[in-house]
Amino acid sequence: MIAGVEEVFRARELTANLVRRDLKVRHRGTFLGMLWSLTTPLLYVGLYWFIFTFIFRARDIQDATRADGTVVPFALYFFGGLVIWNVFATAVGGSTGSVIGSGYLLGKVYFPRAILPLSTVLSCVVTFGFELAVLMVATVIFAGFPDWHIVWLPLILLIVTVLSFGLALILSALTVFLRDVAHFIGVFLQLWFWGTPIIYSLSLMHDRASLYRLLQANPMTGIVVSFRNVVLLNRPPDLKLLGYDALVALVCLAVGTKVFGHWQRQFAEIV
Amino acid sequence: MSDLAISCEGVWKSYRIYHQRAHTLKEKVLSRAHRYEDFWALKGIDLEVETGTTIGIIGLNGSGKSTLLKTLAMVLTPNKGRLTVKGRISPLLELGTGFHPELTGKENVFLAGSLLGQAKREVEKRYDGIVDFAGIESFMDIPVKNYSSGMYARLAFAVAISVDPEILIVDEVLAVGDEGFQMKCWERISELRAEGRTIVLVSHSLPTVRTLCSKAVWLEKGTVREVGKAADVVADYLAEVHHETAENEQAGAGSHGRRYGAGPAQITEIGVLNGDGAHTGTFRTGDPLTIRATYDIPPGLNNTICGIAVMRGENLAYVFGQNSGQAGVTLPTGVGTVDFQVPYLPLLRGHYVITVVLHDEAATKIYDCHERRHWFSVFDNPSLPIEGGMVHVTTEWRAGTSATTESPTADALHSSGTAG
Repeated sequence: MIAGVEEVFRARELTANLVRRDLKVRHRGTFLGMLWSLTTPLLYVGLYWFIFTFIFRARDIQDATRADGTVVPFALYFFGGLVIWNVFATAVGGSTGSVIGSGYLLGKVYFPRAILPLSTVLSCVVTFGFELAVLMVATVIFAGFPDWHIVWLPLILLIVTVLSFGLALILSALTVFLRDVAHFIGVFLQLWFWGTPIIYSLSLMHDRASLYRLLQANPMTGIVVSFRNVVLLNRPPDLKLLGYDALVALVCLAVGTKVFGHWQRQFAEIV
Repeated sequence: MSDLAISCEGVWKSYRIYHQRAHTLKEKVLSRAHRYEDFWALKGIDLEVETGTTIGIIGLNGSGKSTLLKTLAMVLTPNKGRLTVKGRISPLLELGTGFHPELTGKENVFLAGSLLGQAKREVEKRYDGIVDFAGIESFMDIPVKNYSSGMYARLAFAVAISVDPEILIVDEVLAVGDEGFQMKCWERISELRAEGRTIVLVSHSLPTVRTLCSKAVWLEKGTVREVGKAADVVADYLAEVHHETAENEQAGAGSHGRRYGAGPAQITEIGVLNGDGAHTGTFRTGDPLTIRATYDIPPGLNNTICGIAVMRGENLAYVFGQNSGQAGVTLPTGVGTVDFQVPYLPLLRGHYVITVVLHDEAATKIYDCHERRHWFSVFDNPSLPIEGGMVHVTTEWRAGTSATTESPTADALHSSGTAG
């Protein structure tokens, strides 16, 4: 385990290059290039804002208010949730192909295989950086400056990264042996999206006990709620849920390391 | 023991040959019987490679050469056995390892560099050299998918030979491409060898193994048949694999060569040196070459002469031979060296084998003869025109009509002809 971490650390330049490769390849050949990282979520927000405002006539979410009474507009509230969800969803969704997509490297050169899912996750974190910048600008314009609660942000980001990486390890290895996983995960992430309070607030489900409990069991719930609290609402994170998320993230990482470490020796022969 | 770069102890490696591999869930569930068989590519390989050794792996197709190479490169994990590798490995198993078609040439140089174990700073240092060598400076900022295959190969090759590894693992695929590439490749390997790096290479070219490697392993059906001095292993391998053709036997092509002589004078060492005095084994036409024999002649044995003969490797055609007596040189008694210096090597592309002999003045008594035991290879010199045959001869062409033949200087064409 320690040796593995050290090995990955020694390959940090390669990891950085792979992250760069991921980011460049994703937008190479498109007119807007890196701007798509910003455009896609903005288009999503516009779409959902339009549907919920004009078609369903939804009002602003009730507890989307700051302590000083500032109401955070629904579109911003939703965008906030989407930004942190996207780190997770793109990392986990992209990880299924991270090992098989680099199959051409596996048989030719040795490097710690774990840096393949790691670089996928890290490139999603970099993209998140762009989206966060947009979110912060929008927050300042529509709701005012965030307060000191923003210091919790790195911790939340760390937890979501570890959680994503843990799952990415498991899924990337699993996909090598069973390609169905990639398709399955795409659908499953859609389901997961709706099972996470992104487009609605957790308190909305308060009076539906079983659903509420299910939502709380979802490790992304605490992350999304806490992220929105510290970035948009100037409130403290939900430490109870966040602690649970951290625990789940560590378990995923441990299982992922074990599974990946066990299976990786066969990668070069199968891919 | 402490100086082993690579040590294999009883390494076994099997491949699972699936007749139909189940890639999807449906296939996994429906075909309950997994139709596969295990194929053992390596069956208990024991191998020790000392730091600074250049070792060649030879054997027939399917003998496990590539599997062993990939196992040493840690791309494959052995099923059984222990593999210890000390040092940073750079595997060159194909040209353009890690190149991504969407990335630019420049981006690929850095990506491939880090894949081959090079630090970013090292790649930066070599970047200009790589671009220079590839000769595609103006294309470095466009994606490699838009390169011609020649440009791609040149860049891939430039990256490959720029690596500065502690342990280099090379597959012969690297040596595909034109003669210039090959020469560059062998030159780089010679350079690395001179710097004391450890090199493992797989080659079907036996003369290459013979000239470049100090040690060789002969694999047969996944086991080590023989390991030892490159010349010996290659000779034994040839004797077994090519025992068929009678004329080969007759000509002695590929045969081991032999050592004989009545003594008491002895040749203790023979080296084929380049202009820098290094044992490269590879030369270009026009390079300086020195054959150096270290001898031990007991006191009283005066007027000992050293003779040297050079033959073509493939058919043992006798190219030239001289002895020191012709130049009026006899060897002083004691332990010493005698150099046979060729300031301008006139030999053209090919593999050559030499015979070195010590005999008395009249050449009636052979003291010690190393017959066809040492090899060297010659590659094209890019600054000379391509010629056919065995040797480069400086010549002049003149042409003209009958009116001008009397004073041909105006139309004189300077060129080189060939003889062989």
